Amino acid sequence: MNATVPFIVTFLLAIVNATLMDNVVLIRFYGICSFVGVSNKVKPAFSMGVAVAFVTIFASLVCWPLYNFVLVPAGIPFMDTVVYILVIASLVQLVGLVIKKYSPALYKAFGIYLPLITTNCAVLGVAQGNTDSGLSFGLSMAQAIGTSAGFLIIIFLMACIRSRLDAMNVPKAFKGIPIALIVAGIMSIALIGLGGIGS
Amino acid sequence: MGYLYILYGFLILVAIGIILGVVLVFASKKFKVEEDPRIDAVEKMLPGANCGACGFPGCRGLAEGLVSGEVKKCSTCKVGKKDKHFDLIIEYMKAHPDKDGKTNVPTL
Repeated sequence: MNATVPFIVTFLLAIVNATLMDNVVLIRFYGICSFVGVSNKVKPAFSMGVAVAFVTIFASLVCWPLYNFVLVPAGIPFMDTVVYILVIASLVQLVGLVIKKYSPALYKAFGIYLPLITTNCAVLGVAQGNTDSGLSFGLSMAQAIGTSAGFLIIIFLMACIRSRLDAMNVPKAFKGIPIALIVAGIMSIALIGLGGIGS
Repeated sequence: MGYLYILYGFLILVAIGIILGVVLVFASKKFKVEEDPRIDAVEKMLPGANCGACGFPGCRGLAEGLVSGEVKKCSTCKVGKKDKHFDLIIEYMKAHPDKDGKTNVPTL
């Protein structure tokens, strides 16, 4: 990125890049667990996307200052993963409490996948990647927003495709998860076509 | 000098842990959900191994299933013993009907 480009352009480009060209699920293969696990119905899939987006953005919002203003001055940047996991786990607890309060049905639909956002590598991957590659605060937020948008779009599309697949005459051996993985592979190939535009 | 980093790491982690813990305590007060008190009671009577062998995420999930009548058999819990856990749960569920006066008594 050259220095004469205004920051807002860089910011928007970074978001688009993280959303499509460098998509978190289909290009970097993070967060496959909830991607396959919760994508069989459209509404829970969309909510899962929103929950992951919330956790990702807030985790980056908290982790970047924590790393640069606490861990680095104290001389212990190697503790980053532990601290990030601590922050992410608390955020997931918080999201869990809110969802349980306002939508018990959704809480049921998520089941075990809600606490599993804690170990969703998309969330940790973004927080870790931001500080590891020494991005500025603005760019790491762009990265977080782009990644969550990418996850949200892809899990939503996947759920739409899978809900149509239910009505199709799929060979018995491919019913359920196997055909979902094949669909994910085809989607991934489609996105690879965009690769390289970002750089 | 190197040893000091261990101390710093420890102190910072403790501090972050305490701050996040306090935030979560307040959040759980604010977003408290009124639940059937029987779920807590049944959860206490289960072995508490949280092994997941019943197919629920943890003992609390099974307790919810037992109270709502979704789970009919206590032996869904693989580690529980008849005299130590299941008999107690059956007794309790007999003695505590739900709001409409219905009882969901699980069998063994």
